[in-house]
Amino acid sequence: METVTLTIDGRQVTIEKGKTVLQAAIESGISVPYYCYHPGIGIDGSCRVCIVKIEKMPKLQTSCSTVCTEGMAVSTRTPDVVEARAGVFEFLLINHPLDCPVCDKGGECPLQDFSYAFGPDLSRMDFPRRVFDGDGVRGDVDFGPTLMLNRQRCILCTRCVRFMRDVDADAQINIIDRGYGSEIATFQEEGVHSLISGNLMDVCPVGAITTRDYRFKSRPWDNPLAADTICTQCAKGCNVTAWIKAKPEWAKGSQLIRFTPRLNPDVNDYWMCDIGRFEYHWIEGERRVRKPLERQASGVQQPVSWDDVTAKLCDRLAAAGTSNPDGVRFLLSAHASHEELFLFKRLTEELVGESGPAAISVSWRYREKQQPAGTKFKVPAVDAPNVNGARMLGLVPGAPGDEVRGADVTALRQAVEAGRVTALYVFDPGPDGSLGDTTWIVEARTRGPLPLLIVQGVLLTDLARAADFVLPGASYVEKEASYTNGHGRLQGTTRAIPTPGDAMEDWQILVNLGTALGVAFDYKSAAHVRSDVTGRFSTITELQGLSTLAFNKPMEARHWLQASNPSERWKWDFMFQDLPPVKGNVDPTSLPLPPGAIPLKEV
Amino acid sequence: MEPLLTRYVREPNAFTLDFYLRHQGYEGFRKALAMTPDEVIEAVKASGLRGRGGAGFPTGMKWQFVDKKSPNPKYIACNADESEPGTFKDHLLMERNPHLLIEGCAIGCYAIGAKIAYIYVRGEFLHVQEVLERAIAEAYARGFLGRNVLGSGFDCDVYVHRGAGAYEAGEETALLESLEGKRAQPRNKPPFPAVVGLYNCPTAVNNVETLSNVPLILLNGAEWFAGLGPEKNGGPKLYCVSGHVRRPGVYEASMKITLRELIEGHAGGVREGRTLKAVIPGGSSVPCLLPDQLDTQASFDGIQKAGSLLGSAGIVVLDDTTCMVWLAENLLHFYRHESCGKCTPCREGTDWLHKILRRIEGGGGQLRDLDLLSSISGNVAGKTLCAFGDAAVTPVLTTLKHFRHEYEAHIREGRCTLPAPWRATRALEGVH
Amino acid sequence: MSFHPKMAYDATFQKSARPLEDEGPAFVYTPANRARFDEIVRRYPPDRRRSAVLPALYLAQQQQGYITANAIRHVAGLVGITRAEVEDVVSFYTMFYTKPVGTFVLQVCRTLSCALNGAERVTEELSAKIGIPPGQTDPSGTFTLLEVECLGACDRAPVVMVNDAWHENVKPGDAARLVDDLRSRGEAALSGCHHVIEQKR
Repeated sequence: METVTLTIDGRQVTIEKGKTVLQAAIESGISVPYYCYHPGIGIDGSCRVCIVKIEKMPKLQTSCSTVCTEGMAVSTRTPDVVEARAGVFEFLLINHPLDCPVCDKGGECPLQDFSYAFGPDLSRMDFPRRVFDGDGVRGDVDFGPTLMLNRQRCILCTRCVRFMRDVDADAQINIIDRGYGSEIATFQEEGVHSLISGNLMDVCPVGAITTRDYRFKSRPWDNPLAADTICTQCAKGCNVTAWIKAKPEWAKGSQLIRFTPRLNPDVNDYWMCDIGRFEYHWIEGERRVRKPLERQASGVQQPVSWDDVTAKLCDRLAAAGTSNPDGVRFLLSAHASHEELFLFKRLTEELVGESGPAAISVSWRYREKQQPAGTKFKVPAVDAPNVNGARMLGLVPGAPGDEVRGADVTALRQAVEAGRVTALYVFDPGPDGSLGDTTWIVEARTRGPLPLLIVQGVLLTDLARAADFVLPGASYVEKEASYTNGHGRLQGTTRAIPTPGDAMEDWQILVNLGTALGVAFDYKSAAHVRSDVTGRFSTITELQGLSTLAFNKPMEARHWLQASNPSERWKWDFMFQDLPPVKGNVDPTSLPLPPGAIPLKEV
Repeated sequence: MEPLLTRYVREPNAFTLDFYLRHQGYEGFRKALAMTPDEVIEAVKASGLRGRGGAGFPTGMKWQFVDKKSPNPKYIACNADESEPGTFKDHLLMERNPHLLIEGCAIGCYAIGAKIAYIYVRGEFLHVQEVLERAIAEAYARGFLGRNVLGSGFDCDVYVHRGAGAYEAGEETALLESLEGKRAQPRNKPPFPAVVGLYNCPTAVNNVETLSNVPLILLNGAEWFAGLGPEKNGGPKLYCVSGHVRRPGVYEASMKITLRELIEGHAGGVREGRTLKAVIPGGSSVPCLLPDQLDTQASFDGIQKAGSLLGSAGIVVLDDTTCMVWLAENLLHFYRHESCGKCTPCREGTDWLHKILRRIEGGGGQLRDLDLLSSISGNVAGKTLCAFGDAAVTPVLTTLKHFRHEYEAHIREGRCTLPAPWRATRALEGVH
Repeated sequence: MSFHPKMAYDATFQKSARPLEDEGPAFVYTPANRARFDEIVRRYPPDRRRSAVLPALYLAQQQQGYITANAIRHVAGLVGITRAEVEDVVSFYTMFYTKPVGTFVLQVCRTLSCALNGAERVTEELSAKIGIPPGQTDPSGTFTLLEVECLGACDRAPVVMVNDAWHENVKPGDAARLVDDLRSRGEAALSGCHHVIEQKR
């Protein structure tokens, strides 16, 4: 890597050639404010708050648009810079409503934080502020199916305009009018219609764009915990953060409150899609199965204890297996993790022998998404996180990297409809619909050809309602589980919240069931299962990472509060690696200030 | 000095190709085609021609910076978006002598290796566009434009592109954005247009008067051209004199001329019974000069030495009936209206300044407003993406500097202290 | 459920107060305008059709008098950009009208040199004569009165641009006559830039 070395505030900084002064400052932990620049969207040079002094240049320069050169001497804290920067902040705030107490961004707002650190002590503006659609939150207007827009708060950084133009490749957001009258808008107020619209809330450095899902639901300081995990709703495997809101003392527990994307240049960059972001309510929804269910003779499903359900289930399964060893079949969702797929495979091998896994079919939903042709964030058509995992375990034909189309379960369906299946065990860890069409199973069970239906899953779907036994499992934020995404990348989820009611992590359900069926499963944990996977599949290199795969834990959201806007998280995750205040041993505040520098206020 | 650029503008058919050809038209272009492109650039450099759009940057240098090694096409973008208040020279040139500009465009294309020149004409100049289109059609018909121009093997197209009402489109990168079909907002520099310009290709952006001078250099030689004016201020110059003078108009002169000769000589001085109060020598964006500075040489360097800028040579003459607070308000209304809104200080600052000026002019100002005006102006100047910010605050700073007493009188008396008869009789209304 | 007591945000979300473009009737270029557009677009590289957006909008305005939402849709399709991008351009430039304007649009230059020579008075006289403040169209739809910024003819101040024709050296006392003239003679009363007039003589 070719590098250049420059000094910023007297500190020597070496950085990749071609990077800008702002990037150099960020990477070396020197605080320079910015709004229009976003690492995923690029440079605009319009907000002007990142101005710095560069020796030998007559005017102050915007650091975002100035490329580092060898020996360049930059100051960010000399009086002229401090004063000029404060002047720009004054301009940003003369029309910005000070409705922070009712603004969703409050507490994680770069305009608040940077104004606090760099802005003037008071505003000299004594004219009424600009009002577009109504005062305060009454200025919030429809901005499409997922978003709301408040034009008063907008500082015209144009990140949203450029995101839609350059990342989504469908320029739906425009500026109308010009100069002091400029506003963000969509054609005829149609709003933003995009599969990745939620990212606009992340990139907005103020509370101008908010999501309908999250607005007025929580405040950053009411979300004490956050867990870095992955989204499993499709084959992409976006790296995300699950935010957990504390419930009041009397209500106990916590609540999943939002998902935000987490930078991973190899997977999802700075973005995630709206499906992963907004379609999570089923996890803590009314339809969640919280207790094992058993269908009574009356036809009604009744909650029962795990002991009861396991015993009865084993009897029925054993009976079905004894009468017709080929009659017991398994239908697994490709939402099943490696651990779960492996345990099903082991179970069939132990019970039937080498040919056992032939009883397993894997299914998933395949939906082409409507997206602009040039989009830089393509949402895969495969709505399942682990088709490649199922392939490596030999449950689905093909190798990782081969193209994936729709799942083929016609053989199973024919067998079921022909009455050749005596028991069908379905594993469906959600969300609803991710198995693809299941009406034929419901049909077969109600009309008769299928005598026994067992569903292990999370939601009381139509399928689960038709089942003789329902075993409540865990969703992807309630367990540590591993998946291989569409590009063959091995990743793990985090146990962000506990399983509800009597629901159990799926590996545990399978181990208990196996034990009850007489299989000598001695797995003590999911990790234990994983190490057995690597042991038994030692030739599949892609699976070897399972033994070292690290799983995150929900963490105190304190450092995210410092980092403020979730979209700025990349600073902490990526650029401030090994730098304070996250970790490391270099404290920039302990370094001597350059002559004439004005110390910063502590944030 | 005999007029060169505007010599024939009063002739009835000066805009026709026949007339132009009878007066050495396209001779300079023929000479250029006999030279190498580098020789043409050298000649323009040697002539000392400086950009007539406002910045006064040497044209030859600008052409030399065009990235010849780039595999992309090169372009000439002629800045004919003449919008600086007080400026109307390009208007005249294009309308009465369009072939001079077309010839300049063709020579420019040849010099920098471009095949296409776009003339970006401001939208309000529909009649100018019509004249240019007709002249271009004539030039195509006679082989001065098109494929294999004059048998030289050089291809050259010239197109007119009509703007649609935006002062900011006169900023060179904003002009390119507008040409690309976007809002006229400036780009970050560097990269400069010479490297990344129109359609991301190397582009030379030149003013109308600048390009119109190029045929003269080729025709009569660089040395002759340089000798027309004082050192480093060669060639003829068009001056636009307007405001409170007897004979407003475009006057062509050597840059050896003084402001006094232009204002009192050519333009006939201020009207009967009035006295000179101040002169804005280079369009509304430059500081004003006072009557005792009239003997300043009206060259780039002369006016700079006197504390202002030649800019676009739009000389606005102000007599003693002019209220300088009103003037600042009038111009800030312009800048507030024309600010493209891309960068924060300009977008917010021009509006704020205008509101304060309106309050003072309306009699509601306070003394602390004056410090506020200077402070806000200081926060805009030098902090913006393009030069617009500096231009916009100049009327405020220059009037505050020289005429602070008028501001104070407004505030003291709670009304405008110099309501001239040529101004509106109505009270100031809300901003519209 | 919201913890914000006053803000209703269930099924009905507040709509923007921004006045939207008039949808207008279905819009498509006349064959002549379409041919003109096809000719203009050839001036730009084939992959840069967007450059033709300003000329394309002029043609639409010429055809229909002002730019409607349907015209924006048509232009967007022709130059290959989104409707939002076209609207962005339309709203930026002052010469595109998004509301119907009068038969004659009187645009008085209000900037310095014209103002120094009485432009403010001209506006006042025009306003009094037509009976509308600047920025409005009279009820009969004949006149729209606008104040515009520097038109670049400061030596002929004050300048009034009527549609695309220039009326120069307009004194406050000439205002009433100009209006009468336009009323009685229609387009024949339109002048032109002084250079154009000189050529006609």
